[in-house]
Amino acid sequence: MQPPHTQEEFVKLVQEHRAMLYKVCRLYCFSADDRQDLFQEIVIQLWRSYPGFRGESKFSTWLYRIALNTAISNLRKQRRRPSPLNINELPASLQDMSHPGEEEEQLQQLYAAIDRLSEIEKALVMLYLDDRSYEEMEEILGINQNNLRVKMNRIREKLRKMTKEATYGIR
Amino acid sequence: MELDSLKYAWRTLGAKPAPEKSSEQIRALLQRRSKGPVAKMRRNLVGELLLILVTYTPAILFYFLEFDGRLSGISWLFVLLLVILAVYFYRKNQLLKAMQCAEYNICNSLRQQVVTLKRYIRFYVRTGTAMIPIMAILTWLIIRWKFPPLPGSDLFYRISGSPWWQHPLTWLTLLIPVTAGVYFLNVWYVGRLYGQHIRKLQELLREMEEV
Repeated sequence: MQPPHTQEEFVKLVQEHRAMLYKVCRLYCFSADDRQDLFQEIVIQLWRSYPGFRGESKFSTWLYRIALNTAISNLRKQRRRPSPLNINELPASLQDMSHPGEEEEQLQQLYAAIDRLSEIEKALVMLYLDDRSYEEMEEILGINQNNLRVKMNRIREKLRKMTKEATYGIR
Repeated sequence: MELDSLKYAWRTLGAKPAPEKSSEQIRALLQRRSKGPVAKMRRNLVGELLLILVTYTPAILFYFLEFDGRLSGISWLFVLLLVILAVYFYRKNQLLKAMQCAEYNICNSLRQQVVTLKRYIRFYVRTGTAMIPIMAILTWLIIRWKFPPLPGSDLFYRISGSPWWQHPLTWLTLLIPVTAGVYFLNVWYVGRLYGQHIRKLQELLREMEEV
């Protein structure tokens, strides 16, 4: 059990970074219940590891590491599997947060495509879109920067191909 | 779809207020139990330990107090077994604790989980198998001690000199196939419990390490 002031501090930090935690849950879970479970699991793991955080790395780096580790290693059975890529399908989390216009459509496409990537690729895409430097990505994932660049190029190509398939029905 | 062109849309999503969670809701989450696979395994371990204590304690007391203490050897056998099991549970718990390594980078965490889970499985199979001959030998020794061979039987306890079920050869004949059977049963059981999980972890690790 941590001292109460530490708990207050921790709760405040979780609230500040909740958008990032929701993004992780959205990327790794397909149903609202699974997302809720994962969010809870991440918060518990963060709290368990919090005494060990000594500020050697940025707080966000530490947060990503624990959130992604929890999401990737949990490997629980999901309540619903993703359907094949359909750009007209609106992901549940986006229904909650409306984004009118072109951006919304782009995000829908992006989420639908990301759902079909592997767990590791999802982590890479998320860090890339969050504008994390390759150095920070290396610190979070443990993959050296050269390999990260190669992998990112492959993912870009894969996403491009997926969108083309979905748009023009190419298989 | 160009990822770079989506960065702006992604950032906009991040800037939008995410569903609010009050301080109380987050505090309530901290009181809940983890549903992670390792946390579940650790809870099962505690459950197993309690079950063993609940079933062994009456047996230990029974053999100590009944029969004027003549069969207290059996109680000591159970106590010895409890000591072995305590070491077994302690080691298992240590290994499971080592698997909860969320602070490492993802590659190291996966590597650590694979190594520890393999070690855990090895330990599970070896101790689970070794327990059978150890228990059988200890039981046999107690039987020999409480029911010594009849006068005239020689060093090798000829079947004619003592009841057939006390003869070491009978025990050995039974022990070898039973131990082998338990070994294969354990291998099958851990494969069923953790096989898929370990394969998935290895697959992720391979993906991270390949260029």
